Amino acid sequence: MAGSKNILFIEDDRLISEMYARLLRADGYNIDFAYNGAEGLQKTKNKHYDLILLDIMMPQLTGIEVLHELRGEDGHGNPDTKIIILTNLAQDKTSREALKSQADGYIIKADIVPSQLASIIGKLL
Amino acid sequence: MQPNRFKRQTLALFFIVSLIPALVVASIWYLNMQADDQVHILVDFQAFVLPVFLLGIVPAMVLSLVFAELLARPVRRIHNAALELAHGHFNTHFKEQGAGEFKDIGEALDQVASRLEQTLSAAASETALIEAERNKLRGVLSAMTDGVFALDKDGRIILFNRAASELTGRSIESVAGQLAEKVMPFRLNGELVMTRWLATQQGTDRIGRWRSLELYREDGASLFVDVEAVALSNDPNGIRALVTFHDLTARQQLEQMKVDFVALAAHELRTPLTEIKGYLDILQHESKGLTKSNREFLARSMSSATRLTGLVNNLLGVARIEHGELNYQPEPVDYLAFAEDIIDELKPGLKQQQVAFEAKLPVELPQLMADPIGLREVIVNLVDNAAAHVAPKVGQVTLTIRRHRDDIETSITDNGTGIPASALPHLFTKFYRVDEMKSSTRGTGLGLYICRSIIEAHGGRIWAESKEGEGSSFTFRIPLRQVAPTSKSDNNTTITRGAHGWIKEHSLH
Repeated sequence: MAGSKNILFIEDDRLISEMYARLLRADGYNIDFAYNGAEGLQKTKNKHYDLILLDIMMPQLTGIEVLHELRGEDGHGNPDTKIIILTNLAQDKTSREALKSQADGYIIKADIVPSQLASIIGKLL
Repeated sequence: MQPNRFKRQTLALFFIVSLIPALVVASIWYLNMQADDQVHILVDFQAFVLPVFLLGIVPAMVLSLVFAELLARPVRRIHNAALELAHGHFNTHFKEQGAGEFKDIGEALDQVASRLEQTLSAAASETALIEAERNKLRGVLSAMTDGVFALDKDGRIILFNRAASELTGRSIESVAGQLAEKVMPFRLNGELVMTRWLATQQGTDRIGRWRSLELYREDGASLFVDVEAVALSNDPNGIRALVTFHDLTARQQLEQMKVDFVALAAHELRTPLTEIKGYLDILQHESKGLTKSNREFLARSMSSATRLTGLVNNLLGVARIEHGELNYQPEPVDYLAFAEDIIDELKPGLKQQQVAFEAKLPVELPQLMADPIGLREVIVNLVDNAAAHVAPKVGQVTLTIRRHRDDIETSITDNGTGIPASALPHLFTKFYRVDEMKSSTRGTGLGLYICRSIIEAHGGRIWAESKEGEGSSFTFRIPLRQVAPTSKSDNNTTITRGAHGWIKEHSLH
C-alpha cells in the first residue's frame, strides 16, 4: 500500500513541493524534501526512496547533473528508485537529455495539477 | 644602313670614278714617254693634260666629299629619328628631317609613326581597361563576406577569394590547383553533396543550393554554411563551376540563443501558473465547505489558468517551429489506444464545459509511424477549439477516426458558430484569427499554424470545412507507413500530458 512508499522532492521552491506534497501525504506517501541537488544526493545515500521528483533549474547542481550522479555509469543511485523530472523547462534538448540519462519520466509542472501528479504516481508506484 | 658607312661607300665610288680619267691620263703619259718624239700627234702631255687632269680631279674629289655628306645627312637624321621612334617618341617628324626623295620617305615614315602611335596607344588603353576591370573584380571578390571559389573541369580550384580563405583558414596559395573535394569538402550527414552533384551536371548550366552544410576548417573546427554552386557547361575561361558559401555559425548561435531565451521566458511564465493551477486544484479537492457558485468560480479560474498555460505553450511551440527545433521524432504508434488515452483525458474538461462528446473509432487500425507528442498536441488543440466554438448544453463535438486508403483520417466536428468561407483558406496561417473584433474566443492565432506544421512534418495534410451557423469540421490525414518489425521493441515511451511530458511505459504498472 502507498503508506510504505518513500518519495523525495529535490526542488528549490519549497512552496511548490509543499503544494504537491499536500495531496500525496493524503494518499499516504512519506514525503521528504531536499532544497538543492547536493542535499538531495546526500539524502539518497541515507535512505531508500521509491521515487525521486527532480527539478531541473536549481542552484549549484542542476537536476540533469543529479540525474547523471544517480544514473550515470558510476552512479550510486539505487536502480529500484524511479526518477521523474518535474520541471517547467520545456526544452527539447533537456527532455531528450533526461530520456538518454535514464529518467523514468519528464513532466511539465504547469501542464498538470497536483491531483493529476498524484494519479500518475499512483500508477508508477 | 649606317649613315657613316653610306658616306664611306659614296666617297669610294667617287674615288673610283675619278680614278678612271686618272688612269687614262697616266697611260697617255706613259705612252708619251715610250714613244718619245715619235708620237707628237698627241697633245703635249706635261703642258696640257696633266694640269687639266689635276685641275679636274681635285675639285671632283672635294665635290664628292661634299655630295656624300649632303646625301648622308638626311639618312643620318632619319636614322636618328627612327632610333627615337624605337624608344617610343612618336612626335618625331621624319618629313622635316629629309630633303628631296628623302622627304617622301620621311612622309611615309611619319605616317607609319603616327599609325604606330595610334595602335600602340589604343592597345595601351585597352590593357589599362582590362587591368582596371581585373582590379575591380579582384576588389569585389576580396571585399565579399561570402566565400567564393571557382573550379576547373577536373574539380581543381582556380580561384579562391579572401573570405573563402578567412572562413576556412586556408591560404589562397595552399588551395590553388587542389581538388575541391579534398580542401573544400562540404558535407551533409557525412556525404560530399556538392561535389557529387557537380559530377552529375556534365554539359549543363544549373544552380545547386544546400543549406547548413558542414565544412572543416584547416584547424579542424567545423563550420556550417549555406552553399550555392553554379555549374557552367561552356565557360571560355575554363571555369566548370563557381561556388559561393555563406557562414551560418554566427546566425546559428543567435538562433540557439533565441530558442534558449524563449524556453527560459516560458519557464518563468509557467512557474506562477503552476502555483495558480496547483492551489486551485487543491481547493477543488477540499471544497466541501464551499457553495455551488464558489465551486463554479473555482472551475472557471481553473479553466482560464489552463487556457493561459496553453497560450504559453503555443508561443513556445511557434518559437520552436521558427527555429527548426520542432523535432519530428516518429515511432510506431498504436493509434487507437493512443486516441482513447487522449479522449479519456479530455472528457472531464468537456463535461465541465457542458459539451457533449462522441468518439467514432474503427474496430482496428494498423500501427503507424508518428510523433506521438506532436499528434497529441494536434488532437487536443482541435478538440479544445471545437469546444470553444459551441454553445454550452447544446454543443456537440465528435471525433472520428477512419482509414482512408493508405491514410489514417481524423476528423473533429462541431455544431458551433461555423467559419466564414472567406476565412477558411487562411485558418492555418500564423497569427490569423477569424474576425478579431467580434470574436468572443481568445487565442494567439497560433494553434492551427502549429497543427499544420506538425501534420506536414508527418507528410500529411490538414484542412477545414464549415457552414456558418451549422458548424465546422477539421480533418487531417497522415499516411500509413510501413512499421519496421524490430522497432516496436525500442518503443518504451508513452506520453502523459503536455507538449514535452513523457513517462516510460515500462515504469508504469
